[in-house]
Amino acid sequence: MEQKYDQLDEHDIEFLVDKIKQGDKEAFMKVVNLYQKKIFALTYSMVREREDALDLVQEAFLRLYEKIYSYRKGENFNAWLMQIVRNLSIDFLRRKKSRKSDSLESLDIEREDLSAPNENPGKFSPREMIYQAAAELPERQRLVFIFHHFEDLKYEEIATRLNISIGTVKSLHFKAIKKMRRILAPQLGGES
Amino acid sequence: MKACWRFKKDLVAYLSGNLDSSRSRQLDEHLKHCKSCEKELEEIKKIYDFSADFKAELKEVMETVEWGKLSADITERIWERKEGAQQRRALSWLYNWRWQPLTAGLILGLVLGALFTFVVIKFSQSSFPVAHQKSLESEIKVSADFMERMDFALARKETVDYLNRSQYLLLDLLQSKRPEEFSMDVIGNKIQQLLTEKKYLNNQLNDLRLLKAKAICDQIELLFLELSQLSPDLADKEFLKLRELIEKNQILLKINLVKKELQQGEV
Repeated sequence: MEQKYDQLDEHDIEFLVDKIKQGDKEAFMKVVNLYQKKIFALTYSMVREREDALDLVQEAFLRLYEKIYSYRKGENFNAWLMQIVRNLSIDFLRRKKSRKSDSLESLDIEREDLSAPNENPGKFSPREMIYQAAAELPERQRLVFIFHHFEDLKYEEIATRLNISIGTVKSLHFKAIKKMRRILAPQLGGES
Repeated sequence: MKACWRFKKDLVAYLSGNLDSSRSRQLDEHLKHCKSCEKELEEIKKIYDFSADFKAELKEVMETVEWGKLSADITERIWERKEGAQQRRALSWLYNWRWQPLTAGLILGLVLGALFTFVVIKFSQSSFPVAHQKSLESEIKVSADFMERMDFALARKETVDYLNRSQYLLLDLLQSKRPEEFSMDVIGNKIQQLLTEKKYLNNQLNDLRLLKAKAICDQIELLFLELSQLSPDLADKEFLKLRELIEKNQILLKINLVKKELQQGEV
């Protein structure tokens, strides 16, 4: 039975974590069931490749299992897990960017073809444009944007997931939108 | 219009549903106559629309994933790795730097041992028929010599022992002045015992070619046979005849000589 992890009681999570620490396979599978969709939504929003996103989901749970002993009772499990996923996704994108850069240098391909969407407005679909624009946001603004716009999370939920205040979420969201308007100005028909 | 910046700050919260109701109503009023704010709101709405497009893509992709299978696969893979890691940890002492010299020594010992075994087997196989046969032969030869010497020594010892006891018996006979002093009852048993021993000695003396010893033993045997056939009431005449026979044939002297030779190992 699927259960939305945001609704899960903290004690339930801690109980499952304790079980995992004792080597309980079933408890681990339950945690995977509870969080896999949310992790996938984030990793896909970050990398936009189905297989890569799935690999990252698996990697995230492996990292979770390895680090489970460093999780302390009373700690925000959502934020703790999301930190793992964020780090993995950022590492992945960094490696990918590095590989792409190496291959471009070796193949001597023109960089214009892969330039930002605002430089070639007619070439991209809305989903492509929003993804590319979100990729240009600073990390925390990007996360707030993804959680709110792609996962429909409320400010309170985002605050819990990132372990920050609602005011900070509001501020980060405002800044993210401001920057998005600037990046997507040609597509939005507004001021550049 | 002077307060536009305040409303613009609230546009994002307004669209995201995070603005309180009174502030929302004020903004609604403001938007009715502020083109600038309205235009900005439209832009932000477009961002929400674009986001909805990406959200649809995310939903489509998520529908292609078999979540039940994925969670089971992930759990299985991680548990397999965990069990593999536990097994590796059990052998991890081998890789511990403190044990590395021991590990290296063990491996080196095994390699050298295997090499040595290989070389030994290889060489022994090439020269096995001749060398091995020779070694077996020499072992048997040594063993046979040893056994022969042992038999010889034992035979000498037994012969000397036989001669000694015979000599004592004959001395008793010679020292007795009258037949009454020489009790045939007692002597008869000893004679029978010595005759039995002689039968056993015959084989050894023949096999080992102790000819001199055999000759004297044969004479003693004849003498004892004569004695054993005598009646308990030995007559003086017969008694003297026996004594003469012993003295005449110098049996005691011969016994001494043979004994000496046997003891010196010259027979």
